Amino acid sequence: MKLHMVGCAHHDTDLQTRQQLAFAKPQVVDALGEWTARFDNTELVLLSTCNRVELYAAREDDATGPGPEELFDAIVGYHRLAPEGFQSRIHTLDGQDATSHLFRVSSSLDSMVVGEAQILSQVKEAYRTAQECGTVGSVLNRLFQSALKAARRVASETPLHRHRVSIPSVAIGEFAAQLFERFDDKHVLVIGAGEMADDSLRYLRDVGAANVRVVNRSPERAEQLAAKWSGVCYPWDSLHEQLAQADIVLSTTASAEPVVTAGDFANRVGPLRKQRPLFVMDLSVPRDFDPAVGDELGVYLYSLDDLDRVCQRNLAERSRALPKAEKIIMEETMQFFAHESHRAAAPVITGLRRGLDEVKEAELDRLFHKLPELDEDARAEIQRFADRLGNKMLHPPMESLRDASKDGAPHGLIDAVRQIFRLDD
Amino acid sequence: MASGISLLCFTASYAVALGVECVGLASRWKSRRLAVLLATAAGLLAHTLYLGKRAALMPATPLGNHQDWFIAAAWLLALAYLAAVLNYRRASLGVFLLPVVLALLAASMFASDAPIASFQAPRVWGRLHGLCLMFGTVAVLIGFVTGLLYLWQSNRLKNKQLPITQLPLPSMEWLQRVNNVSLPTAAVLVGVGLFTGILARVASVPGQNFVPWTDPVVLSLGAMFSWLGLTEVFRLFYPPAREGRKVAYLTISAAGFLALVLFSFARTDSLHSPSVHGPSAGDATPAPKTTAGGPV
Repeated sequence: MKLHMVGCAHHDTDLQTRQQLAFAKPQVVDALGEWTARFDNTELVLLSTCNRVELYAAREDDATGPGPEELFDAIVGYHRLAPEGFQSRIHTLDGQDATSHLFRVSSSLDSMVVGEAQILSQVKEAYRTAQECGTVGSVLNRLFQSALKAARRVASETPLHRHRVSIPSVAIGEFAAQLFERFDDKHVLVIGAGEMADDSLRYLRDVGAANVRVVNRSPERAEQLAAKWSGVCYPWDSLHEQLAQADIVLSTTASAEPVVTAGDFANRVGPLRKQRPLFVMDLSVPRDFDPAVGDELGVYLYSLDDLDRVCQRNLAERSRALPKAEKIIMEETMQFFAHESHRAAAPVITGLRRGLDEVKEAELDRLFHKLPELDEDARAEIQRFADRLGNKMLHPPMESLRDASKDGAPHGLIDAVRQIFRLDD
Repeated sequence: MASGISLLCFTASYAVALGVECVGLASRWKSRRLAVLLATAAGLLAHTLYLGKRAALMPATPLGNHQDWFIAAAWLLALAYLAAVLNYRRASLGVFLLPVVLALLAASMFASDAPIASFQAPRVWGRLHGLCLMFGTVAVLIGFVTGLLYLWQSNRLKNKQLPITQLPLPSMEWLQRVNNVSLPTAAVLVGVGLFTGILARVASVPGQNFVPWTDPVVLSLGAMFSWLGLTEVFRLFYPPAREGRKVAYLTISAAGFLALVLFSFARTDSLHSPSVHGPSAGDATPAPKTTAGGPV
């Protein structure tokens, strides 16, 4: 088996380089088709996300296939880029290193935010796309199945994924979920229409929030955001009225002054709410909500600082889980290579046994032909003797092959056994 | 099978379930929930068989004496807990509900096992009185536990404290919903219990429309009903009392009245004592003598 990985990731290339080399899904399909035609008998999977572009290439046989240089040329050539500018930024890995790398990527140990869950679905998507394109054979099938298994083990055996580290996920998953049992019947009010609002709405939609209202000073941006999330846009003047009806507030304006003062809330919103619980995520800097609003009965106010403190704590928790996760990756890599080595030695072992069986059967036939007076018991005893002799003679070379396989495919030994016993013949 | 079951059997089962829940605070293992379920279910089965055996010996069970009444109330609460474990997986409720079950069982050990007067009263009113108050007690106790949990959760969220991984708590919305149901339920049940108690009393002493209003049990029960009734009126006219911490405060205060009633019932109950009015004809079977280890 031969395996190469050629590509770049967030830790050694800048965003601009990754954008130049990135493949959209139609391009992935197109590129895989083009490269399959160029590289005979080579299996290919292309993983392209905003943080990495990686091409995995493998062959079942050990015959010469495309090397790292040709794979690199294939990537930059597809984008019609000059290779000189990228040579130093693209890294290549082979064999066990490439395997271990894919396992780490799938388990999110190589991600920009270690432990984020999205990468696993991106790896699965890349694998599925390659399957649909027909560029995955037995080697990459085994490799990616093992990578998914490693990722599952890391997820279930370590707390790496249990600690949320993004601001919206902490706000919703750690705090809002303690306040509300369900989100589908809650009114979500978005104040401002910034990027943070968009990210947070994605999390809220994931937990079932459906009723979204947007209030923004600029009606155009509010309408865009409301349209994207099937929400309703309200004029800025109705802010206090909307606050009175909301269950969850997401505030992301760029205002230099608080948008909601304690006095406003106490006089214009509080009396209408009748102490109904309100969860406020104030994700603006400077703050949109006067901190004193958090003292009102039924109001649970979280600022960006409050949420960031939790994120930092969770990141530290994830770091503590890293050694165990790395150990799992090492175990899975070793196991994958042990299986691959056994697979490499298997045809030789089968050939050895078949060759010996053929000789044994021929000799037994000849013997029984020459001694027709032997009764059934004597024939059975001779048959057992021949079987035992054959097994005992085969045992040492087979054990040697198996032992040697533990440290990788024992190509030298396999070739020697093939030549000694003329297995190719 | 039921003959070997004693109070100790199911008390121990509930204690084991509570122990497993408490050990889970330090470290959670995969089959922890199953262990809690099995221990509680085993306790509840033994509890049911025990009450069945008592009913076979004394048909008025669980209203025959104070002790049985407490044991039956604990059974109801344990049943509610098991239903909660099965239907509401996200929280560890056992740490909070099982101590109340064990407290009721402990109270039963100190309660009198002499036949109570209501059980000598006309069957319908006496039984309705006892059962309504038993269900009302359980409703108040559930409200008390969820009220405390609500205040704790609210305080944690106000102070931006992260959820405790080892002790997942119910959401405030769920706690408030349970609180909002327990309060009117308790008010209705205690009201019906008080009313039927008066009827049973009047019917049990023919010719004398005498109700001892100054009796500690009647006084405390009347005070509890008045409080529950007032809270419902308050909630009706003051909407903020239907939301948030006020509901929790109201249910917790109702539990204070309940404690007074139970204390009066268990320790100073002259009203339900047969010695005051003497057994009425027909069903004055003495309760079998029981100990903490069960009937002997």
